[in-house]
Amino acid sequence: MNLSRGGNTPGAPFSRLLEMLRPDLLRFAFWLARDRAVAEDVVQETLIRAWKSREELKDPAAARPWLLTIVRREYARLFERKRLPTVDVDEVEALGDPALASDGDAGLTDLRRAIMQLPGEYREPLVLQVLGGFTTTEIAQQLGLTQPAVLTRLFRARNRLRTIYGLEPAEDAE
Amino acid sequence: MSSQGLDCRHVRVQIGGDPHALAPEVSAHLVTCAECRRFLEETLAMDGRLRAALDLPIAQFRRRAPPARRFALAASVMFALIIGGGFWLLRPQAALAGAVAEHVRHEPGSWEQNTRLPPAEVAAMLAASGVRFDTRYPVVYAMTCPFNGRHVPHLVLQTDTGPLTVMLLANERISRRREFADGDLRGVLLPAGSGAVAVLARSGAKPEGSADEIARGVSWR
Repeated sequence: MNLSRGGNTPGAPFSRLLEMLRPDLLRFAFWLARDRAVAEDVVQETLIRAWKSREELKDPAAARPWLLTIVRREYARLFERKRLPTVDVDEVEALGDPALASDGDAGLTDLRRAIMQLPGEYREPLVLQVLGGFTTTEIAQQLGLTQPAVLTRLFRARNRLRTIYGLEPAEDAE
Repeated sequence: MSSQGLDCRHVRVQIGGDPHALAPEVSAHLVTCAECRRFLEETLAMDGRLRAALDLPIAQFRRRAPPARRFALAASVMFALIIGGGFWLLRPQAALAGAVAEHVRHEPGSWEQNTRLPPAEVAAMLAASGVRFDTRYPVVYAMTCPFNGRHVPHLVLQTDTGPLTVMLLANERISRRREFADGDLRGVLLPAGSGAVAVLARSGAKPEGSADEIARGVSWR
């Protein structure tokens, strides 16, 4: 199945929509998985699942959050299915990925590496909020947490990054 | 320091959790607490960088470097970190024009498109981004791209004088029309309703003639 070439066949607008949103999905999956190959697998699975479920999407305006939610579920599913090993933050291969480098802005590269090294419990809600555009309530629903717990995780994620940004960390939450 | 029932520690947790959606009691605390206001300003500034950091250049992402190049790249990144790190904190916030030009440079293939996209599909994509755009020019490229923390339509139109890149920036506010040049790119930023529009051309082409007409075709939903 080639999802990226709709032509004049039925479902062509949906294919085009998937193609347009694919870069977003890939970024999101990469930040979750911290591995390019896994991210590409997750996105491919997401596109297939989205295609099969395309009748569920009634409003094109909701396509992006709908697809990002599928990415997250597919990543969780892959993690469970393959029992991906826990990776030490210092051994994350993605830390050397060219995509993290920013020409002429070493600070941005530094920040990307710092985000990549955040524990998953902090990195995931941060990526959902900043890149995915989800509210803390929506993130809580996705992660099965309370909204205050999500706020605390997001606070801790940003607090860790403050030192990278050259700022004094705030006193931690209880 | 305490005000309105919240102490600074709790206020900063709220700010760090979501600096863009503060509860009324947090806002009330900020009125009387300069230190927490500074914390909010720092957090908002950091969030701008955070958004830029998460917005990975997909063009680079798709090209996996061979192992030898990866090692060389890692070495060059380390060198850049050592040399550039000291200047980071002094780097001013990039202006909107510079940010637009930088974004456009990340998608060089967009200029090469020449097949008109079906108008209905472009309209559906724009509707998903909350914008309506009427133009007489054929749209040959249409993506939604992360930009300054939002997802914005990035279009390329084929005009009589060559391709023009158009970015529809619903959440950017500018007070007046502004022309700019950035390397081989020339551009115009224009107010459009409650948002802004960026129109760019490259390689000596001039966007000024079409920019106003393009901006008039934009309406936010």
